[in-house]
Amino acid sequence: MVIVKRKELSLSERLYVPEIVRGLSITFRKMFEKKITRQYPEEPLVKTEVTRGQPRLVVKDDGAIACVSCGLCEAACPAYAITIDGGETDRPIEREPKRFDIDMLRCILCGFCEEACPKDAIFMSDELELADYSRQALVYDIEKLKRPAAAMRRRIEYVNRINDRWRDAPRPPMLVGRDAPHGAHAHSPAAAAQRPHAS
Amino acid sequence: MNDFAAKVGLTGEQLEHLLAILVRNTVILIGIISVAAVMTLVERKVSAWMQFRHGPNRVGPWGLLQPLADGVKFIFKEVVVPNGANKALYVLAPALAAVPAMMTIAVIPFANDVVLFGKNWGPLVVADIDIGILYLLAIGSMSVYGVILAGWASNSKYSLLGGLRASAQMISYELSMILAILAVVAMAGSINLREIVESQAHGGSIADWNFWKQPLACFLLLVASFAETNRHPFDFAECEPELVAGFNTEYSAMKWAIFFIGEYSAMAVMSSLSVILFFGGWSIPFLPDAPWYLGFAAFLAKTSVYLFLFVWVRWTLPRFRFDQLMRIGWKVMLPLALVNLLATGAWLTFFGPPGAP
Repeated sequence: MVIVKRKELSLSERLYVPEIVRGLSITFRKMFEKKITRQYPEEPLVKTEVTRGQPRLVVKDDGAIACVSCGLCEAACPAYAITIDGGETDRPIEREPKRFDIDMLRCILCGFCEEACPKDAIFMSDELELADYSRQALVYDIEKLKRPAAAMRRRIEYVNRINDRWRDAPRPPMLVGRDAPHGAHAHSPAAAAQRPHAS
Repeated sequence: MNDFAAKVGLTGEQLEHLLAILVRNTVILIGIISVAAVMTLVERKVSAWMQFRHGPNRVGPWGLLQPLADGVKFIFKEVVVPNGANKALYVLAPALAAVPAMMTIAVIPFANDVVLFGKNWGPLVVADIDIGILYLLAIGSMSVYGVILAGWASNSKYSLLGGLRASAQMISYELSMILAILAVVAMAGSINLREIVESQAHGGSIADWNFWKQPLACFLLLVASFAETNRHPFDFAECEPELVAGFNTEYSAMKWAIFFIGEYSAMAVMSSLSVILFFGGWSIPFLPDAPWYLGFAAFLAKTSVYLFLFVWVRWTLPRFRFDQLMRIGWKVMLPLALVNLLATGAWLTFFGPPGAP
């Protein structure tokens, strides 16, 4: 049982008025302090590489996107915002999306597509503003999703840096016991790189 | 002008007098309504600054046109009358809350004799009547009808409770307010507000202000006027966490706005009254012979300080509990006001009125 000891009030505290005057002086002083509101449209948002905005398809230096329409991002998307129709192409990669739509009204900016992508094709940009007059206009197709790699440089480097943290590192200890019989090659860097993180 | 006067069967002087009254009254009425409009902006701005925010700053420079935008919005919003509401009373209540506040402004003297175009037009007051304070208190008390009728007519529990609380509170605090004012009246020997100002103004020094002679009465009037205008920390009529919005829960659009015009007008009247009773009205310290426009400016300045105090207190103090409100009203304010009146009376009996040789 907790016994809360009430503080004995002094005479000036019980008279209300001196305490009220003290409170008034505090609010008066605070009136002139710096305002903490950010005036949004005039003051732009602070964007760093950690900012997780709308997903974009990165255009490589040769003008093509890296997507091979594997459908992993489509499967990972918790909001079912991504729709992909795959097709064949004459490029060495052989596959590319014929249609890659992201419904921006459904997208929750979770970044799962970025994590799922095995080809480093989709990244979260720092674009957060989204407005139009119709719902259809906010379903972005490939052309609208394309962003040159130069514009996404910071985010791509950040994601790569995060991924490098575990790519060549020792495996999580939980898995060691279960995989112990194959331990001989499980610890090689090549094998660790193929295994997804914490699966 | 004299030809026109002859046509309507008046002398030129009578017509001139009539026109002067019309102009003066129009200016004062428009003035009090714009004070209400400006106060809504001041309220929002000051509250924002005290909370490290900017406040409204989108409409016009620094948001100065916000009251105008609000007014346009209120006019175009839909008036919703709840099911089962007593429609006649429901429509009447906002007017009953706002009109008394505007009527009481009639006896407030804003400035000394106005001299314009080489003619003395008399003091800047709508009605320079001898029972000024009596009239002000009597009409001012009527505004409680607006609040309780709004609560009753809305057919809503919250509104009804808000109205009930407002009436109980206003009746409790009116008593100590009147007793506090009486002490000043006893010292000035008049209930004409203009004469009360002049009793403080003749010496031209701050020492003549009633505030130095009656600090307790000034404080009591201040607290009572918070309660009378339903402002924090006594705003039980519209106590948000308990009663949604109190008596005006079911009101919308311009009807809702009229309640607030009434509230802010009442604030302006109570501030003016306090300035007149305790801070020398239009008198300027060390300038006993200042022209009327300077006196008018001084009066406005003093009243603005008082109005700022209303806003300042609202955004500083938390709300009392209802039983605390009643306890302060009956067990602290009333005895203090009585003792103050008794002491003033004793002083006057034994030492004579102040200023007398």
